[in-house]
Amino acid sequence: MPIITVDNLSKIYGQANASTVALTDVSLSIEKGELVSLVGPSGCGKSTLLRLIADLETPSTGAITVNAKTPHQARLARDYGFVFQAPTLYDWRTVVRNVELPLEIMGRPKHEWRERVDKMLGMVGLREFHDHYPWQLSGGMQQRASIARALSFDPTILLMDEPFGALDEFTRERMNLELLEIWDQTHKTILFVTHSIAESVFLSSRVVVMTPRPGRIASVVEVDLPYPRTFETRESSRFFELITVVRETLKEEFIRHE
Amino acid sequence: MSRSESTRETQAPPRNSWLSTEIVAPFVVFVAAILLWEGLVLFFKPPVFILPAPHQIWQSFAANASNLIAYGLNTFLEALGGFIVGCGLGLLVAMAVARFRLLAEVFVPIAVASNSVPILAMAPIAIVWFGIGPQSKIAIVAVMCFFPTMVSTVRGLMSTSPDAVALMRSYAASDWQIFAKLRVPTALPFIFNAFKICTAVSMIGAIVAEFFGGAVNYLGVYIKTEANILRTPNAWAAIMVACAFGMAFYLAIVMLEHVLMPWHREPS
Repeated sequence: MPIITVDNLSKIYGQANASTVALTDVSLSIEKGELVSLVGPSGCGKSTLLRLIADLETPSTGAITVNAKTPHQARLARDYGFVFQAPTLYDWRTVVRNVELPLEIMGRPKHEWRERVDKMLGMVGLREFHDHYPWQLSGGMQQRASIARALSFDPTILLMDEPFGALDEFTRERMNLELLEIWDQTHKTILFVTHSIAESVFLSSRVVVMTPRPGRIASVVEVDLPYPRTFETRESSRFFELITVVRETLKEEFIRHE
Repeated sequence: MSRSESTRETQAPPRNSWLSTEIVAPFVVFVAAILLWEGLVLFFKPPVFILPAPHQIWQSFAANASNLIAYGLNTFLEALGGFIVGCGLGLLVAMAVARFRLLAEVFVPIAVASNSVPILAMAPIAIVWFGIGPQSKIAIVAVMCFFPTMVSTVRGLMSTSPDAVALMRSYAASDWQIFAKLRVPTALPFIFNAFKICTAVSMIGAIVAEFFGGAVNYLGVYIKTEANILRTPNAWAAIMVACAFGMAFYLAIVMLEHVLMPWHREPS
């Protein structure tokens, strides 16, 4: 049974005469343990779709299930961790205090905090920076702390909204490898929003290609590159072929709208 | 996992760097200004009641130090009382108002507009209402401190980024948790900026309110009396005492800020 299902979803902003269709007729299902990317240009509704699944926004029509619950129930059950494009660390908290924030909010017993936080910081390689404030970290380290925070309470699902979009190319490629390692260790279901075609192909088992005006799913590309993926994966010819497949879909849609 | 990332951005500045920028540099400028003043008086020789030299002011102070410090303390306690009442009410009202966006939209423009009301002009009325004693001064200072604190606090409480709030919502945090763990820490820098402004405002308010009447053992009354009989070095000595209390008050707030906000980064 799929862990996330999206059925005939649409999202319309504004009133009847001045409305924007952000998403129309979106259907999707994601299996437990999958790493799926949503890729597309700005305005294609990929972030909106993620926020609808997270119950940070409400759909206009259609239905979503998360862990066989409504998104609202899933949010209250703390079924997912969310990683934003900006690290969104709280300035007044050290790395440790940021990572333990969800545990604190959720009222988990204190003896659990240290163990969980230490494990997460070890996983993202930030143990020695535990008492630093966010402004003392580089962009990549801030985003690592943000991932550690999203996983600290051990949710089954990780929702990531362009988490590496603001990082430079080199840091981003290393973060991609680190994310795959985390995925391998934790077996989370990951839904990953990006506007980078290469990133979406490199990371995921399926790439959901979305197009704008109105936002919808244009195609779903199965990525048959074997895991574990490494630096060499980026140099394989299959990697480039798949990038081309995704790009072609976006090009057709682009021409269609000219 | 990789730990090779550059530590270029991970260096904290020395913990006490704010001491040098916030205390030492202004102190050097202060001493230079005193020396310049002394030199100008020495050179132009104005009558002493127009402008005494710093050393004459110091002599006036030394001759009457214990009284002046006692007067200064009396006036400072009025200022402090008004500061606590005004800033305290400002914080409470701001928290109530920020809870409801509609209230904030009604009250904040009124509070901002009230900044242009010359509240000190109401000092004589405050004396009619609260008597000639410290209560009337505390009332004036409280009103003067209330509005800037309230406006800054409301702005601070509402300046949370949408994602920072969405993060809390993703944890299914309660409204109270969002308030205590996100809105209040976000507002702290705004609140301390208001407090720093209010330290100066409260000393000014207390002294000027005393000009309209009060007991002789308060700075404002003393300054007015001595200036009226042209014993200006005495008035200047009292002004210096007021400055000292004002600066000490400001520095105390700055130190409190550094204790309560250890994450605060000085703009370099």
